[in-house]
Amino acid sequence: MAMNFHQSAIKTRFAVRFVQAMKRLNKRRGVTTTDSYKRYRATRAAACASMASAVGPQRAWSRAVLSKTKRRRFQAISRKRRLINPRRNLGFGQEEDLRGLVPGGKGMEYCSLLSETAHYIRCLQAQIQVMTDILHHSSSLN
Amino acid sequence: MNSRLPEMLHCLNSTTSENCEMSVLERQRSRLKQQEQLTHHHPPIPYFNGNDHLAYSGFHGDQALSDLVLNGGAMKPDPGVEHDDFRRFMNYGTGTTDFQMSCALPRTVSCPPYVAAASVDSAAGKESCKKRKAHNLKIAAEEKKMKGCAEEESKITEQNSNSKSTTTTISTSANKNNKGPSANAKKASDAPKTDYIHVRARRGQATDSHSLAERVRREKISERMKYLQDLVPGCNKVTGKAGMLDEIINYVQSLQRQVEFLSMKLAAINPRLDFDIENYILKEMFPACPPAMEPDHSHLQFNTSVEEVSGSGLEMVVGPMDATLRRTISAPITVQQSFLDSSSLNQIQQVTWEDELRNLYSMEYQQGRSTPFISQQITGFLEANHVKLEM
Repeated sequence: MAMNFHQSAIKTRFAVRFVQAMKRLNKRRGVTTTDSYKRYRATRAAACASMASAVGPQRAWSRAVLSKTKRRRFQAISRKRRLINPRRNLGFGQEEDLRGLVPGGKGMEYCSLLSETAHYIRCLQAQIQVMTDILHHSSSLN
Repeated sequence: MNSRLPEMLHCLNSTTSENCEMSVLERQRSRLKQQEQLTHHHPPIPYFNGNDHLAYSGFHGDQALSDLVLNGGAMKPDPGVEHDDFRRFMNYGTGTTDFQMSCALPRTVSCPPYVAAASVDSAAGKESCKKRKAHNLKIAAEEKKMKGCAEEESKITEQNSNSKSTTTTISTSANKNNKGPSANAKKASDAPKTDYIHVRARRGQATDSHSLAERVRREKISERMKYLQDLVPGCNKVTGKAGMLDEIINYVQSLQRQVEFLSMKLAAINPRLDFDIENYILKEMFPACPPAMEPDHSHLQFNTSVEEVSGSGLEMVVGPMDATLRRTISAPITVQQSFLDSSSLNQIQQVTWEDELRNLYSMEYQQGRSTPFISQQITGFLEANHVKLEM
């Protein structure tokens, strides 16, 4: 499968975006410093969103994540697409599980679901690597 | 119409004797002219002309091949003008090769690509069940494997092996000749998914477009499953799609949990790093990441860029403090700049080099593909002659 996946480029972009998001989180002191769970949620959302924006809108899963973050603008479109898609077959249990796991997988055809899953896995790997690096570095400095 | 048949037969036979040395196209053209003259002589049958044209363009392609295999001897009493025309066609076809080419020509030009796959051994017996369809279907540019059968269909079409029937060989080669070069070029150079390739049904498989499309879809799915299998560790041991899907799901879940865990940890660390996070992370990202990235470089092209970035990062660490400050102030811009400044040239070079390499590959690929084609065509023609001699 010809997949245009430049993992290092995506990694760099993700790192930059994620660091920016963290900076922004730190500036919003009121919310983030008080509640640790909220902070965790915000960090996770920042990680997801920065990964999706690093990938760009050409992938379905990143589109789904981005539309989730900018919900107001994209809600109608995503609903409609989900309803319209004719090739969506009611698969067996595992397929449904996979649909639940991959963002935006609810409205996908099985074939594209698999390719999106592959891309998503690679992006998650890159994300984990970058985040681990950041964590290692900051913990070693402390 | 029936009253006119012997006349036409006679006429065409005469043209046959005259035009033995003519090329196929000329022969066909002359025949059509004759028929036009005939219809001119017989105005009461107005639709005959069109009918004949139709017969020549469409119907003959299939019939001709099957008749050829039967060698024109044991013709089925098939009523209708077309068939009679056809018998004539048969009788006066001097060289088998020419004849087959003339059969193949109208098909490739005008009709839907029906491929009469009359295998030599079984051709003597039956005639009815030997048609295979070659459909143009939109699928990915790579060669697809037929899922249902163990044999690879695409290989067959590529190789045109000698065990295949002569008629199939010739018709496929004719089809390939029709759109051969473009298809080769596109296949070689990672073409977009809107390319046409031939998907052929085997005997016993359904040939309607829906089931063919379904088969293509299944191929795609299995291909992607293979890709995922390579991607997910420990998935190679598992057999069966259900187990593979389980593994994939578990892996994705574990990755997502890892991300959650990491973000939790970062969230815990984050407030403590209020002052330092920018400096530290940006300092750390660029020298530290490239070594970690290097093991899984899938693209050579980006190697250099990352190295360049790492080089600039190292310089930055060694260099004065204001460099780091500048860097932290405008992080994305500096990253872009570093990409542009240091590695753009390299990247461009790499890209052009890769393109050249790809062109080279494609050329080799085309050559590799075209030579067997020619040889197979030749062997096919030889076989056709052989068959004719045998019969």
